[in-house]
Amino acid sequence: MAEKVERLVNLTIALLEAPGALSLAELRRRTGYYTDGSPAATRRRFERDKDELRHLGVPIETVSLPHSDEVGYRIARRSYELPDVDLTAEEVAALALAVRLTGAAGTPLALAKLAARAPDPAHLEVGADTRVELPEGPLDAVATAVLERRVLVFTYRRADGGTGRRTADPYGVVQRRAAWYLVGRDHDRDALRAFRLDRMVGEPQATEPPGAFDPPSELDLAAAVSGPAQPGVEVTLAVAEAARWQVEMRGGRDTGRRHHDGRAVLTLDELHPVRDRAWILGLAGAVEVLAPSALRDQVAAGFRAVLDAHGVSS
Amino acid sequence: MLTLVPWLLERPGASLTEAAEVFDVDEDTIREDLGHLDFCGLPGLGGGALFEVTLVEDRVVLTMADELRRPLRPTAEEALRLVVSVDAVAAALGDELPALRSAIDRVRAALGIPERSADVLEPEGVAALPLLRRAVREGRRVVLEYQGRGDERPISRQVDPWVLHVVDGTWYLQGHDHGAQERRVFRLDRIATAREAHVARQVPPPAELPPPRYVPGEEDLEVVLALTARGRWVEEAVTADRVELHDDGSVTVELRTDAPAWVARLVLMAAGEARVLSPDSLAETVVALARGGAR
Repeated sequence: MAEKVERLVNLTIALLEAPGALSLAELRRRTGYYTDGSPAATRRRFERDKDELRHLGVPIETVSLPHSDEVGYRIARRSYELPDVDLTAEEVAALALAVRLTGAAGTPLALAKLAARAPDPAHLEVGADTRVELPEGPLDAVATAVLERRVLVFTYRRADGGTGRRTADPYGVVQRRAAWYLVGRDHDRDALRAFRLDRMVGEPQATEPPGAFDPPSELDLAAAVSGPAQPGVEVTLAVAEAARWQVEMRGGRDTGRRHHDGRAVLTLDELHPVRDRAWILGLAGAVEVLAPSALRDQVAAGFRAVLDAHGVSS
Repeated sequence: MLTLVPWLLERPGASLTEAAEVFDVDEDTIREDLGHLDFCGLPGLGGGALFEVTLVEDRVVLTMADELRRPLRPTAEEALRLVVSVDAVAAALGDELPALRSAIDRVRAALGIPERSADVLEPEGVAALPLLRRAVREGRRVVLEYQGRGDERPISRQVDPWVLHVVDGTWYLQGHDHGAQERRVFRLDRIATAREAHVARQVPPPAELPPPRYVPGEEDLEVVLALTARGRWVEEAVTADRVELHDDGSVTVELRTDAPAWVARLVLMAAGEARVLSPDSLAETVVALARGGAR
């Protein structure tokens, strides 16, 4: 029996070069492999090789053969081959630098595939003084579904802790801050939703067939994970000097006025009353809401909830 | 192997060293693969012949391998990982590397991954970034007004900047802090102001710079938090040593921190969905701050 690497390469060549689909019997004749032993044992060996090639990304199709009960195998050249990517030497160098800066596993090989027929990298004047690390995430589990447009079924843990089965058309993946999101149409709600990949429980299942949906052409992934743009309100805060820069970084402007305790009074134009309440709670002791009174009450209620949680009365 | 063949066909006389570098393996692996190639190709069928590998010193010439003249398509997983990795770098570098922008467009087109199916959002804009980028590149010292996680207010630091990192969508600067006399990591969104010191960097970057991950130290405070299911985002904001999940979806999280004041503020932000189980001193800090705010 020939070494595995040879078997896999030659099996690929045989299927690529054949004018049509080949039965296992025909493959035995052309390659000389899978002939030692019982038919069942040699078929098992062939199946193992076929699965390994598929795992490597070789698109072996199974088709029924005319005038026969046997199945046939083939590799369509257009699915196997990478179309030419017309990269310049500078572009190859930029991609190589990018791959090096992230250090993500598996990407050097993918780049080697893309650049196999491209010019050798040019010398770059840019240094490697910026590095990038992407959040870990089960990106691989949804990659096939996104790229092949297969409906995805998965168990999802909501922000409030409950879990449920979801069915979605996976339109795309997007990284925002420390998390990866899958954006797609939730079948049960018939609406666009963003799912955090790290809240998927177990392995998501991509269903048949490929090409099951068309993503909307005007999809904006960034908007889908940032949530709907809700109107902000103008907020007035009394700000201690130590925390002033944090309010200013958020767009706070000094009104020139002083609170009665001497703290500066700043206004923020577009504070979102629900989402930004946590930010104000985190600045306890340094920042106090002066207006609007509804937000002032909500912040006070937040602090009372903290006291309740710690078994202390306010 | 299915990629090595077209790569070699395109580059007659390539060296083993070059091949090893491109494929991110050692030279022996390439040598071994070449040994197999001598037995590849299907003679007698469709005019095919065995591949011919000629190795002169460390130079390789591969012929008669036309069946595999074009590289195998990357798998969906490889393609997506490549696009998002490169995209993340492009988002971080901005306009520093124009060739990368055009390269990504070509790669996306070739792999069939438009921007609407995979995207990396730019790390949150930071005012100090252009100045720090210039300072790192030119090797010049900077003065930062920096609010450490445990500090009440920003403190002035003299820093020899070494490298900028984007970790999980957040910018960091690593450098030598002249006050602390050692390596320090600064989160860019905690820099109140930054300016150039107009002196050259004195401490050069070490050869190896680990990414800026929080590594718990011996003297760090051990903290235990109880989070309701709704409060589990707190768990995502800290580096937990242990997480225990309960039937009702709540969790108990054990962590260590060198900045208890920062953990206290996280607990306050959770508005009652997080509770300090221990130590008592941290619970007291939280309660005192909440009392002040609830009035």
